[in-house]
Amino acid sequence: MSDKKKRDQGGADIVKGKASPIHGVDLPGGDVIGRPLRKADGLDKATGLALYTDDIQFPDMLHAKILRSPLPHARIKSIDYSEALAMDGVVDVMVGSELPIPYCVIPWTRDETALCTDKVRFIGDGVAAVAAVDEATAIEACKRIKVDYEALKPILTIEAAKQPPEDEAIHVGNRRGNQHKYVDLSFGDLDAGFRHSTSIAHDDYYFHGTTHAPIEPHCAIGKPEPGGQLCIISATQVPHYLQRELARVLGMAQQNIRVIQPALGGAFGGKSEPFDLEFVVAHLARKTGRPVKCLYTREEVFYSHRGRHPMAMNFKVGLDDEGKIQAVRSKIDLDGGAYSSFGLVTTYYAGQLLTGPYDFASYGFTSTRYYTNKPCCGPKRGHGSVQPRFAFECALDEAAAGLGLDPMTVRERNTMPRVATTVNGMRVQSNGFLACLQAARKASGWDEKWGKLPRGRGIGVAGSMYISGTNYPVYPNEMPQSGVTVQLDRSGRALVLCGASDIGQGSDSMFTYIVAEELGIEPGHVRIVSSDTDLTPVDLGAYSSRITFMAGNACIDACRRLRKLLLEAAATALGQSAKRLRLAGGYAVAVDDTAVSLPMQEVFRLAEAENGTLSASGWYNTPLLGGEYRGGTIGSSPAYSFTCHVAEVDIDLETGELRVPKVWVAHDCGRALNPVIVEGQMEGSTYMGAAELMMEDQDFYPADHAAPGLHLGPSLLDYPIPTSSEVPEFEALIIESLDPEGPYGAKEAGEGPLHSTIPAIANAIHDAVGIRLKTLPITAAKIWRALQETH
Amino acid sequence: MAESVLKLKINGFVRRVAVSDQETLLEVLRYTLGLTGSKQGCDKGDCGACTVLVDGEPVLACLSLAKRNADKEILTIEGLSGPEGPHAVQDAFDNAGAMQCGFCQPGMILSAAALLERDPEPDDEAIRHALSGNLCRCTGYTRIFTAVRQAAGIEADRKGVDPRPAPAPPVDPKLP
Amino acid sequence: MLRLPAFDLLEPTSLEEALHLLAEHGGDAMPIAGGTDLLPNMKHELFTPKVLVSLTSIPALRAIEDLGDAWRLGAGCPLGELANHPGLQQSLPALAEALGAVGGPHHRRMGTLGGNLCLDTRCLYYNQTFQWREALGFCLKKDGDVCHVAGGRKCVAAASNDSAPPLLVYDATVEIVGPGGARTLPVREFYHPDGISNTRLEDGELVVALRVAKPSQGTRAAFHKLRRSGAIDFPLLNMAVSLRLDERGTLVALSAAVSALAARPNLVKGLDRFLGQVPDEALVEAIANRCRRGSVPLTNLATDPEWRRAMVPVFIKRLLQRCLDA
Repeated sequence: MSDKKKRDQGGADIVKGKASPIHGVDLPGGDVIGRPLRKADGLDKATGLALYTDDIQFPDMLHAKILRSPLPHARIKSIDYSEALAMDGVVDVMVGSELPIPYCVIPWTRDETALCTDKVRFIGDGVAAVAAVDEATAIEACKRIKVDYEALKPILTIEAAKQPPEDEAIHVGNRRGNQHKYVDLSFGDLDAGFRHSTSIAHDDYYFHGTTHAPIEPHCAIGKPEPGGQLCIISATQVPHYLQRELARVLGMAQQNIRVIQPALGGAFGGKSEPFDLEFVVAHLARKTGRPVKCLYTREEVFYSHRGRHPMAMNFKVGLDDEGKIQAVRSKIDLDGGAYSSFGLVTTYYAGQLLTGPYDFASYGFTSTRYYTNKPCCGPKRGHGSVQPRFAFECALDEAAAGLGLDPMTVRERNTMPRVATTVNGMRVQSNGFLACLQAARKASGWDEKWGKLPRGRGIGVAGSMYISGTNYPVYPNEMPQSGVTVQLDRSGRALVLCGASDIGQGSDSMFTYIVAEELGIEPGHVRIVSSDTDLTPVDLGAYSSRITFMAGNACIDACRRLRKLLLEAAATALGQSAKRLRLAGGYAVAVDDTAVSLPMQEVFRLAEAENGTLSASGWYNTPLLGGEYRGGTIGSSPAYSFTCHVAEVDIDLETGELRVPKVWVAHDCGRALNPVIVEGQMEGSTYMGAAELMMEDQDFYPADHAAPGLHLGPSLLDYPIPTSSEVPEFEALIIESLDPEGPYGAKEAGEGPLHSTIPAIANAIHDAVGIRLKTLPITAAKIWRALQETH
Repeated sequence: MAESVLKLKINGFVRRVAVSDQETLLEVLRYTLGLTGSKQGCDKGDCGACTVLVDGEPVLACLSLAKRNADKEILTIEGLSGPEGPHAVQDAFDNAGAMQCGFCQPGMILSAAALLERDPEPDDEAIRHALSGNLCRCTGYTRIFTAVRQAAGIEADRKGVDPRPAPAPPVDPKLP
Repeated sequence: MLRLPAFDLLEPTSLEEALHLLAEHGGDAMPIAGGTDLLPNMKHELFTPKVLVSLTSIPALRAIEDLGDAWRLGAGCPLGELANHPGLQQSLPALAEALGAVGGPHHRRMGTLGGNLCLDTRCLYYNQTFQWREALGFCLKKDGDVCHVAGGRKCVAAASNDSAPPLLVYDATVEIVGPGGARTLPVREFYHPDGISNTRLEDGELVVALRVAKPSQGTRAAFHKLRRSGAIDFPLLNMAVSLRLDERGTLVALSAAVSALAARPNLVKGLDRFLGQVPDEALVEAIANRCRRGSVPLTNLATDPEWRRAMVPVFIKRLLQRCLDA
């Protein structure tokens, strides 16, 4: 690692690392891998047996509730909780000063405390917490806490955040007022690029705020354990990062904190950093000596947010005569909300992840994140790049129209080579984007439809690229990003231990398939213990679409070590060369004579007799990657996935009502370890994208309102998500490009397939009615207004 | 305020529980009886995660006062499967890959089971309609529709899907 | 989770008993039928009654009666049961459609006709948690003294029940019982324009049934709900029309209703002038514009009242056309 890269990572102590073993496609797989198997936890969930955090109860457990700020921006002058504490059933009360150490998932932007210490920064900011014998008592006690506030002028828009603060900055002491992060990067010769462009699209776009809205509200339990240890059971996607931040804030040794993530009811990025309730239950459990649970209301889920940043984007795209992209330039302002969250990374991602799937030689972006007095934005499925992707793909269509080019054709012409380095230095080793375009073109009947459908009906296309994990963890270290231990038992069962979080995406299942494939046993003979920091090797968590790639490789690594021992034992017993043996379907079988075989259970026993107890750890770390410039590591990934969406729309010309009858999604996931799960991710991503465009809107009352900064409607009624009755039909088209470093060639499938949904629909609207809507969401009212104006 | 001991017939068994008048069926199921298969997602009838069957019909347990269910037959997800294994709908949801996080699934599956009970061969429109009170945030519903069609026998299994997890390996008598 | 404030639940088995209990507890008591409207409102602390009088154990409220020339629909009938009733679908299609458009399937299974008729008016500033409303500074309808929609001293929360427009165009009658005995009120007189409480029910009174005359031969009616989502939502606009042509094709009866505007579901006035004519495109247009004139959506439900207003004639036209094409 160069010194420069070390600097970029903050220059903290770096443990000497070594290059990770890469197994990649030298393992073809096929007995289990690639087959549409059931999920490891499917029946558990279908029968109601799976335990989610709020399903867990402990004897003598207390219930906590957090009192939240009714003001968007105010100093806390005093808190009087004597009346609450005196209530029958109230066991303890805590306030922010008890846990003043700031935290953040990104170690260099720690600007949040467990509860507010000196001021509140949005309506819903946590101020105090009560532990009581039951939740109803805790709720009532919160109402009896008196907080004396001194109101400050709220800053609610990007424009307001750019001005010098009237009262005071949201984070007093921040060097740049309410500006949180500024990034300005440029690659190649932009001026020349635009000079060579004959068609330039240059426009402003706006992507609104949206939130994750997992059906399971956040919940956490803190439980004191013997020896001064503390166990936190939480609906989190990042047990390891949570454990680190809990230890820091609570002032405890990390090893004395155990984080367990039970079954998780959806996350999408909304549970990928520490939240106030986790600190609250930990602290109150420590104070009271009793287990303490805290469950968010749906309203609190909306306030905890960390969803998509609203972005105001100026995009300029230039094409030459032949439709080749010559230059792309963007200026993006991010509305970050009250705290940092992953915002430092978001600010980079808004530019860094746009340099594919198209090949261009000059690119520049300026990206600035601002603090505002609203719930904090963060990473939502497709972190940072979904918003600019919308603008870019719309602008690309506009520029292509200037040349009279078919949007599909212009994308095909600009596809980057299969192996490439992007203009900002990202290494691409597998790329099935052209195949995605072709598959979607064919399946959707593009050639018969584009420009040919009757007015009101239209079809649109868009493409995108996304990371399979980030090359660098959020805190600098050179230890593995993922570790997996596999233990074999003489009963014939394999046990996988890994810190990875199954949040519904199916990582536990992925381990099952890999172990079954590698060791030749039935998937039903594999057990998984995941995301328990006491029991499992570290995996950094379910974010950035990293688990299949990283934990998958680590699991193969562990299995390979055991596989060698198993093959040797079987070879000895069967009198065959290990090279001529296959482990599959529960047997070790001689390739040359299938009658010669041994059940795997017996192979396990023989291997255990020969080698002692069978267990192996495998691990994965990323190769050193990224551009040689400040921020060049952010956005670098060991592999990139590619997506193309084609959407059809049907617009009611009188009402503006938008229907999306069908969306085709072609996604290059490298290799589909299980096509059913991959298709499920593609459909779910596309659904979420379509919903963001059509109906979702996390918005707040403006400064001139009676309640500035108040959420417009923090409920699933006022923040509608599509029901089964109006959801579009989706057709998933899997493209397999076989990445040389991915497990069996696999890349991500959980986030990439969201990105281009939104511009594909926006482009289809343009095809349908000739209107370019540049501000999201695209509601019926907005289409109707635009139609009125064109008349 | 008022409390009473209530007899609730849940999953075929009569349970005696002490309830306050203001307690919802969901609170009693989850926190008094430990039947945590029924989920709580939205607090107030906007998501359907708390769906249980009362006299065979899907209702929102979060908006159902426990006390008003005294003479009813309540079926929760835990009672849908029996000693013979999972219900056909549960099996189909698993088989079709209809669940990701699984949190909406108990409610969704009960709505689907009730649909098939009254309409064994629903068309796509009927399936969409019957499930429209149960929000799912993960799947986009596509595979849920497939699962319901599979459970109804309208759509065949996807080719190549392994029927179910393999049983434990047979014990070889020769082994020590 | 949001919890219900404490109350005593009383479960009378007869109407008399229910009335007696309501009278006995006076302002401390509220009736509860399906609970799909009241219980979320109670979780939001919009109502904190000490006593709830349950109406679900009163068999008399559950009957669907075909009286020959009219239907008598018990107030306790679940919405879904009415929506799927073949006789009603055939005879009162606009009502069946409207009841089938309420919320989601669960709400229709639990919610009742009487409950929907008496649905509390709704507003963006009102149907929120206590904490949210506290941050707002409350509103005129509950705990506060400012209307955040219109700024005035009159609450303009919107009638959001899907049943009202069809019941208006069918000219249904509400059967009411109360401490003063039984009375009836036409639906068109049942509502008044006060968002705080938009029905003319007196304290202690209950809706027992709705009586809807079977429309004369040749009457056609239709309903449309403008909504954001396919299910689990309240209307952005509700519209119903009913019309009848004579054998020569002349318009001899016409009524239209528009709701989800302000507190009172609006039965459009002044439509008689269109009678006696043979409907053509111009007439349909004229009727639709007439409906628009009296329909002024507010920011109580959605932030684009102008679009909602423009949708009135669009959908009225479509409904008229559906009736004429039927």
